[in-house]
Amino acid sequence: MVTPSINRREFIGATAAAGAGLLLSSCSPDSGSKTAVNKASSLNKINMALIGCGAEGQVLLDSLQVIEGIRIAAVCDIWPYNLKSNVRRLKDNGFDVNGYENYEDLLAGEKDLQAVVVAVPDFWHAPITNTCLKAGLHVYCEKMMSNTIEGARSMVQTMRDTGKLLQIGHQRRSNPRYVFALNRLLREAKICGRLTAAQAQWNRAKTDDLGWPKHSDMKPEVLAKYGFKDMHQFRNWRWFKGLGGGPLSDLGAHQIDIFNWWFGQTPRAVLASGGIDYYKNHEWYDNAMVIYEYELPTGVARAFYQVQTTTSAGGGYFEQFMGDEGTIKMSENPSITKLYREDRAQDWDALVAKNYLSASATAAPSDADKVDVRETAPLLQYDIPVTFSKKIHQPHLENFFNAIRDKNVKLNCPADEAFASEYVIHKANDAIAAQKTLAITAEEVKA
Amino acid sequence: MSETGIQVFNHSAMATQFQVRIAGEEKTYAAQTAQAAFALVDDLESKLSRFRANSEIAQIAQLAPGEKLRLTRPVYDCLRLAQRMEFATRGAFSVTAAALRHQPTKPLWALVENEFTLRCDSGRLEFDLGAIGKGFALDRMAELLREWSCPAFMLVAGGSSILAGDAPSGTAGWDCGLGENNSSRRHWLANSSLSGSGLAVKGEHIFDPRTGLACSRRHRAWALTTSAAESDALSTACMILDETEIDDVVKRNADWLVFLNEKNEWRHLGQRPVPPLV
Repeated sequence: MVTPSINRREFIGATAAAGAGLLLSSCSPDSGSKTAVNKASSLNKINMALIGCGAEGQVLLDSLQVIEGIRIAAVCDIWPYNLKSNVRRLKDNGFDVNGYENYEDLLAGEKDLQAVVVAVPDFWHAPITNTCLKAGLHVYCEKMMSNTIEGARSMVQTMRDTGKLLQIGHQRRSNPRYVFALNRLLREAKICGRLTAAQAQWNRAKTDDLGWPKHSDMKPEVLAKYGFKDMHQFRNWRWFKGLGGGPLSDLGAHQIDIFNWWFGQTPRAVLASGGIDYYKNHEWYDNAMVIYEYELPTGVARAFYQVQTTTSAGGGYFEQFMGDEGTIKMSENPSITKLYREDRAQDWDALVAKNYLSASATAAPSDADKVDVRETAPLLQYDIPVTFSKKIHQPHLENFFNAIRDKNVKLNCPADEAFASEYVIHKANDAIAAQKTLAITAEEVKA
Repeated sequence: MSETGIQVFNHSAMATQFQVRIAGEEKTYAAQTAQAAFALVDDLESKLSRFRANSEIAQIAQLAPGEKLRLTRPVYDCLRLAQRMEFATRGAFSVTAAALRHQPTKPLWALVENEFTLRCDSGRLEFDLGAIGKGFALDRMAELLREWSCPAFMLVAGGSSILAGDAPSGTAGWDCGLGENNSSRRHWLANSSLSGSGLAVKGEHIFDPRTGLACSRRHRAWALTTSAAESDALSTACMILDETEIDDVVKRNADWLVFLNEKNEWRHLGQRPVPPLV
C-alpha cells in the first residue's frame, strides 16, 4: 500500500517509467484503489515451490505467504532441521506443502509447478536455476546469481534458450520508493544537478559464526554430497571461496546494483582494498572498501562502497547519490532516507507543489529587503512522498508472478540486466586480490 | 562469563534491551544460541512493530472496514493471544488501548481462523503490542533455547518482563527481585515468567482501553505466569483493574499470580503457589 501525497496518476507515471506498471496494482496509493488489489486475487493461481529454507528463504516465505494468487506447493532444503520446521510452520499456517531434501526429487514429484523461488547458497544457484528453467519453470533466484561469472553467464544463456523468466532478487528494483526517487527526482526533476559521487554502505557488528542446535548435524556424507566440508562450513558458507562471495557479494550486491541502476550504466574501472584481517577462519574478506569510476554524459562520477563486518558504526545501510545541487540518500529503511538541497540550487517549491517532494515546513521568505523575527524556525527538511507498507521483498516477487501471468509485464530485474551488476561485483573482489585498479569495458559486462 | 558459570548476552530490539543468560553451557555454543535468539527477536520486531513501515501491524493500520489481511503465523498467534487476554482481563488489556484517545469508538476486528487473516470491522486498527509483544518474543526465544538444548536460561526484556527456564545447576532457581535493582523482595523462579508494570519509569502511559482514561493504579503491579506474553499483558491489565477485579480475573486461571505493593505492604492474589523467597 502506498500512502501518498502524490496522486495515483503521477504515481503510475513514475513507476511505469521503470517498467513497474503492474506494481501499482499491488501497491495502491490509497484505500480506494486497494479494492483493485483484492480483485487481482481472482487471477489464476500459480503453483510454486521454494528451494532453500534458510534465513533468506524464510524472509521470502514471509512474503510468499501473503501474496494472493499463488500456491506454495512444496519446499526443499537439504538440512532436515530447516525442512521440517518450515513444512510444519507452513502447514500450521494453512498451506498444504510437500517437503523435499533434493531439488531434483522436488521436480520429479511436483508435476504442476509453474515457478520456483531459489534461495540456496550461491554456488548452487546456477545448477538449480538452469535445471529448473530447462524443466519449463520460471525462476526467481536470489542474488548473487552465482559464485562465478561463468555460472551467472550460463543462467542468462539458459533463460534465453528456454524462453522462461528469470528474475534476480535485487528487490530494491521493485521498491516503489526507489522507483519513484529514480524516475521523478533523479532523472526527471534532476534534483541532484550534475552527479559527481555516490556512496553506499552496509556495516555490521562483529558476530560469532552461525551455530546450529545440538543433535541437528547433517551426516558427513550428506554434507559432502552437497559440497560442504562440515556443518560449520554449511552454516557459514557465505565466508568460503567456492561457495559464496563474502560480504561484498552478500550485502554489496544489492547496493552496487543500485549504483549501476541509478547511474544507468556500468563503471569503467574499479579500485578496492580489503582483507581477511579479523576472522582468521574465513576465506573471504571481512572488511572491504571499493571505488568505482563511472563515465557519465555529464562527467566522471565516483561511487564508494564499504562493507565492514567488525563494526556497525556509520549510520545503517543506505545508498547516497550526490550532485552539485542536491543529494538523495536512499535506504530500504525509510527513516534513513534523506534529501539535501544545496543552497545554490533552484528552490524545490515547485516540486513540493507537484507532490514530487514533501516538505516539513514552508521555506524561509526570499525577499532580500525584508526580514521577520520570531521563534527559531525548524530546519526545513524534504522527504520522498511515497511509502509502502508491504514486506520489502513482496513487490519484487509480485512483479515476478505478474510477469508469469501477463506477457506485457516486464521483469524489473531479468537475469541479463542483473548480469552487469554481477560482473562488476565479482570485479571488486578481483581488484582486492590484484591490489590495483582494474578496467571494465562495456563489452565484458554483457552476458 | 560470571563466576557462577552464567553467560550473559545483550541486544537492542523493540526499543529496549533484551538479555539472554545461559547457564551450564560452553561459551561459543551459548553465544551462537543467543545470536539465534536475537535474530528471532529482530524478525518478530519487523513483523510486530507499529513503527516499522513494512510490518504487518503497520499494514493492519491501513485496512478499511471490511478489508482483510493475510498474516504470518507469529503475528496471527500474537493477536490471537491478545484477544484471549483481552477477554480474560475483561477488556483491561487491549492492543487497541490508545484508540479511544484518537477515535470516538473502539475499533473492531476479528481473526478469521481458517484463512489466517485479520478482518477490520470498524474504525482504524491502531494496534500497539507494547504490552504483549516483548513477552510474546520471550516465549518464542524460550522455545528456541530449548530446541538448542539450553534449558537453563533467563530471558530479560527491558527489565519489565523476564522468563526463567530451568534453574541453573545446584540452585533453587533464578534469583529475581520485584522492584528496583536489588529489591528486598526476591523469589527463586524457574520455568515461569514475571512482568511488572508501573508509572515510575515511563510516567503516565497506560490507558484504560474501555474508557480511554489514564490507569487508576498508582503503584506497581507484577504478574507471575508460565507464559511471558500472558504475564506482560496481565501486569498491564492490573494497572487498570481494582483489587476486586484482579482477584476475580486471576481466580479463573490457576496459572496466574499477581503481586501488589502499596505502602510497603506486599499482597498476592491468585491460586498459583508463591515461588520460594530467596
